[in-house]
Amino acid sequence: MDTKEKLKKILIDDLNLEELTPEDIDDNAPLFGEGLGLDSLDAVELVVIIQKHFGIEIKNMEEGRVAFQSIEALAAYIDTRMESA
Amino acid sequence: MQIAIQGIGVVGGFGTGVTEMRQALLTGTSNRATLDLSNCGTPLNIPAFRANISRLTDYVPLKALRRVDNFSKLALLGAYLALEDAGVLAEGKQERLGVVIASGYGATGITFAFLDSFINDGDICASPTYFANSVHNSAAAYISIMLGATGPSSTVSQFHHSVPSALQTAWLWLAEGRVDRVLFGAVEELSELIGYAWYRQRGTAHKPEMTPLLTGVESAIPGEGAAFLLLTRKEEAQDGYCLLDRVTTGRLLKPGFLSSPQDLLVLGADGRIEKGGDYAQLAEKSTVACFTALYGSMPCGPALDIAIAALMLKEGKTFASPGGGICDFPASVAAGGNILESHRVSCLSLSDEDCFGLVSLAKG
Repeated sequence: MDTKEKLKKILIDDLNLEELTPEDIDDNAPLFGEGLGLDSLDAVELVVIIQKHFGIEIKNMEEGRVAFQSIEALAAYIDTRMESA
Repeated sequence: MQIAIQGIGVVGGFGTGVTEMRQALLTGTSNRATLDLSNCGTPLNIPAFRANISRLTDYVPLKALRRVDNFSKLALLGAYLALEDAGVLAEGKQERLGVVIASGYGATGITFAFLDSFINDGDICASPTYFANSVHNSAAAYISIMLGATGPSSTVSQFHHSVPSALQTAWLWLAEGRVDRVLFGAVEELSELIGYAWYRQRGTAHKPEMTPLLTGVESAIPGEGAAFLLLTRKEEAQDGYCLLDRVTTGRLLKPGFLSSPQDLLVLGADGRIEKGGDYAQLAEKSTVACFTALYGSMPCGPALDIAIAALMLKEGKTFASPGGGICDFPASVAAGGNILESHRVSCLSLSDEDCFGLVSLAKG
């Protein structure tokens, strides 16, 4: 399972997006606002989820802003961080 | 001041809503399930009366429930059912509505999941959603937010005394004129933690049925559920069920103190042998009924007794105690389907600290 697919499954489970399946989530759709419809509390939850499941700590708000654009962006961020670890 | 019960919302092992509860009362049967325990060394399960919350999506979209934990979902379902039963759900925003919730154990599932996340993953990975749900008053807050209730909201946890204590709070709010209505609710959830505590205290052996009027026999089966009552001042009441006549709590209860001998006494005896003798002594020579075998043993069970008593007063008929009402102490067990001759029905609950709660309902 690639990072994008893993991420989608984790988001559905951990954010209780019960009405969605991984296939419903567009790789390039915004995670916040329109798109997946996540909000500010989800942003905090996402930081926890990324650390818990991938061991990656997002300390920098600017990094998070770029990474949390979409599933595509977040997966790329995770892959880059894991390669450089 | 007297208070009127305008609507009832119930969910438990017997089903969901007044209609299903009434059906269970008529048949004397309830759906017993199991609670799985995975943290006892070897996987186990114990018998339990479980509540089904699937009907909550009739009132709240699934998406709006994604951060709501199981305990609060039970509370929300009970709240919506009570408002619907009272015919006020369509009014929309419930201004001047107070919300008071009683729970002996509280939201143990999410609270301990939050604590476990500290232990397993460290404090940096503590979920903010779990934290929000572990806050003591979160279920009452969810109800207030979703209903647009602008009155006070509170949660009372006094173990087996939670129900009468929370009712006294509701009474005060109405008497003070702080609100026009109070949504009183009692909630218990069967989390794995509660199941584990039950297993450690009582093991896995159990009787096939609860026989709470056999007070010398251990027959308790744990239960979960919610019972909500929409309360108003008597002078503002329309139709509804009955009056909440008196809520008394205290110690030093003696036989005969409880209620007039002609009043029907609903016993909160729940098959726990340690309290059985006290119920037997206090209810001696009374006309009694007991319905815990329909919903199980739980600290907030007395709220379900109040709901059943209110239904009896509204219909003017008695319901039979499940299991044939076999009783091992000198009392008269009310038969089902008879005209309710007493003007009042009192619900008695006893705590492990030798305290009592007595909630008396009267025909409106």
